[in-house]
Amino acid sequence: MNRIITTISLVAFTVLAVLSCKPKYNEPTYSKGEINPSRFVMIGGSHTAGYMNDALYYEGQENSLANIIARQLGKVGGGNFNQPLVNQSSIGISSNLLSPMKLGYKTDCKGVTSLSPIRIAAQGDLGVFNQNIYSTNDLFGNYGIPGLKLADVFSSNSNPFFTRMASSLSASVLDDAIASNPTFFSVFLGVEDVMDFAKSGGTIENLPSATSFQNAYTNLLQVMTANGSKGVIATIPDVSEMPYFTTIPWNGLTLDAASNSTLNSIYNPLGYYFSVGSNPFMIVDSTANVFAVRQILSSELLTLSLPLDSVKCNQMGVLFPIRDEFVLDAGELQYLRGVIAEYNQIIRDLAAEYNLAVVNVNEFSKNLQTGFVYNGVTMSSKFVSGGAYSLDGIHFNAKGNALLANEFIKSINLNYKSRIPQVDANSFNSTLFP
Amino acid sequence: MKQIYIFSCILSLFFLPKLSYAQGFQVNFQGQKQQGMGCAGTALYQDGASIFYNPGSVAFSNENSINIASTPIFSNVLYVDSATKQGYRTKNPVGTPFSAYGIFQAHKHDKLKFGIAAYTPFGSTVQWEENWIGRFALTRLELKAIYIQPTLSYRIADVIGIGAGFIISTGNVNLQKDVPVQDSIGNYGHAELAGKALGFGFNAGIHYDLNKKITVGITYRSQINMKVKNGVATFTVPASLNTNFPDGAFTGALPLPNVTTLGWAYKATKKWQFVLDINYVGWKVYDTLAFDYEKNTTSLLDTKSARNYKSIFAFRGGGMYKANGKLDLRFGSGFGFSPVPDASVTPETPDANRFYFTGGLSYRFTKKFSIDASIYYTQIKRTAQNTETNLYGTFRTKAIAPGFSLIYKW
Repeated sequence: MNRIITTISLVAFTVLAVLSCKPKYNEPTYSKGEINPSRFVMIGGSHTAGYMNDALYYEGQENSLANIIARQLGKVGGGNFNQPLVNQSSIGISSNLLSPMKLGYKTDCKGVTSLSPIRIAAQGDLGVFNQNIYSTNDLFGNYGIPGLKLADVFSSNSNPFFTRMASSLSASVLDDAIASNPTFFSVFLGVEDVMDFAKSGGTIENLPSATSFQNAYTNLLQVMTANGSKGVIATIPDVSEMPYFTTIPWNGLTLDAASNSTLNSIYNPLGYYFSVGSNPFMIVDSTANVFAVRQILSSELLTLSLPLDSVKCNQMGVLFPIRDEFVLDAGELQYLRGVIAEYNQIIRDLAAEYNLAVVNVNEFSKNLQTGFVYNGVTMSSKFVSGGAYSLDGIHFNAKGNALLANEFIKSINLNYKSRIPQVDANSFNSTLFP
Repeated sequence: MKQIYIFSCILSLFFLPKLSYAQGFQVNFQGQKQQGMGCAGTALYQDGASIFYNPGSVAFSNENSINIASTPIFSNVLYVDSATKQGYRTKNPVGTPFSAYGIFQAHKHDKLKFGIAAYTPFGSTVQWEENWIGRFALTRLELKAIYIQPTLSYRIADVIGIGAGFIISTGNVNLQKDVPVQDSIGNYGHAELAGKALGFGFNAGIHYDLNKKITVGITYRSQINMKVKNGVATFTVPASLNTNFPDGAFTGALPLPNVTTLGWAYKATKKWQFVLDINYVGWKVYDTLAFDYEKNTTSLLDTKSARNYKSIFAFRGGGMYKANGKLDLRFGSGFGFSPVPDASVTPETPDANRFYFTGGLSYRFTKKFSIDASIYYTQIKRTAQNTETNLYGTFRTKAIAPGFSLIYKW
């Protein structure tokens, strides 16, 4: 009898133990801390809008920086977040009226076919700009507008990415953004202010002065915080770290023995020397010598807009120096980085003054340039393979936006004692390979 | 000139494994009677399982015996990511380690005994749920290893026995993880490393009866280097990246550490007996995990991952109560330090310092035929950030292992 009881109790114990053998998952407790996330509005440029692969389109917008942040705010009481969505069936459109890019095969002037960003269609969907989608019933939360500079916030403007969502022709971005009485806001502006200069190789010099940048930013924050709203603002990355400026190598000029001796005979009198193998490209520099040509320095950058077929087949960068519009030279880079540093100091000071959380996007961009491992995946700012930037080399893809959104969330949590969960950035799409 | 730089170092993170319910790779499910007493028994001859626990003890057997056993393992791991607070679980199939022992002597009271053992110190599968957050570290790990150990034991005096066995270890490993390259509809790539491993070692021990009540045992199981020589690496990636991830051969190795054990047995009364084992496990040998691919590309480089394990102590003890002539009852417990430093905690090894508890019984139907049963339970928790993958979260593991054996003596 004793035995039977022992046996039965052992069997029962075993069965019970096996059944209860799963560790329990405790539902996490999130909290909004000191913020009121019920009505969130974000103002920014193309990164905020979800512009990627050089176009604004539905899937990119779904994975916009603003939308990812808003979705997480939704877990601590955030309300609906409306975006000026492009129709899901539309291919979308770029600021140059082109279609989005994808990774495909392209044959170059030498007949070599390789994996390369290509446009998915001959042109973008112009219909995107032809219809105004403003609705008083569903006021937008995402005022990320491709190309939006800080000063553009205060006036009506003809940016087609804004006119398609504006309440009226005379409305300013700021008027529309505060129409819904945001209780929590984010501002990520300034990138577009320096982008024209950088993308044009320093040929477009329209950067606002530090004073006007400071005044405009102060005005903006005064309006946004007028009703006591808390918010999160962000510094500006060093845009020259983006793949658009770091992909084409300064010393990508590869010479065989014959062309080496030709080039040496041409350029030695100017003091420029070449060797078999890789060499610096020749660039235009009016201050260099009477021929206004010199070798590019290792610290100088070439833009992704450089016509590569001309380089490969028509002596661009060799006998025909690369034009200024494709080069960020040492002086231009110093100027650009100086301006960004000034702007960032202003942003940090204002964050302190207005008690706002501030995200160090500048540092995030530097970390990407160094490269880091995120949940087993190496992320970097390398073109295509780095995993964070889309094929235009300037805007993040969905995964890059998710990583940056996590930085915003960390900053909000730290500053406002909230517990908002981050996203699993690896569940967002990166570069898609054919 | 403009190149599409394809991924480098994507596979910089391949790990070989160990089991979630084991301290390091060490699994002490080699004898039901020992399992019943906290997995201790180095100083106590009980049955054929002593070929594993102490070949020296085997010299004190005085019978031919055959002993076969199995210990199904039900283990579940929950990982809660610290950044997203999301939880992910394993869907492990039931592990079925087995052991078989035979002890033989030429005639009664012979001083020399022959032993043969086959046991599975590994034999489990770690399978994580679909799309879990650590999928680029590991999605599935299947390990099977069988040790064959022929053994000789000799009683050099009435109170001293010595024994030693040679170990041939054969195994299979199958390691899978996702590769962070996405095809045109967003599916991630996948990598599978499969291979057979072979290693050699030995197991030696001394058994000494200090007096009628106290026995001491010392054993040393050598390190075994499990080498995978002709492994096959298979990659499922988008077509445009096939040349970057060529299927092909790889080699690798996994060191299984040496284990030194000092054990005591104490016969308190006719009915009560107690055992205590102290293990020192030389995990320090596991400092690096390296994979060498036959075909390297810029995306597929040979890898060296720091492990930096520490050698550790484990303490195991238990008691046995002879209820009557037919029934023995057992109980036990143990504590082991984790050899795994925080930086090396991986989804294969959510290891932690641990307590475990065991129980067991034997029932003798006849003089020749008996059965044993045992049960093992543990739960552990480890919060750590792996410095290679940066996975940062909390692993919680619960494992239960009921075991059963049949013994025939003559």
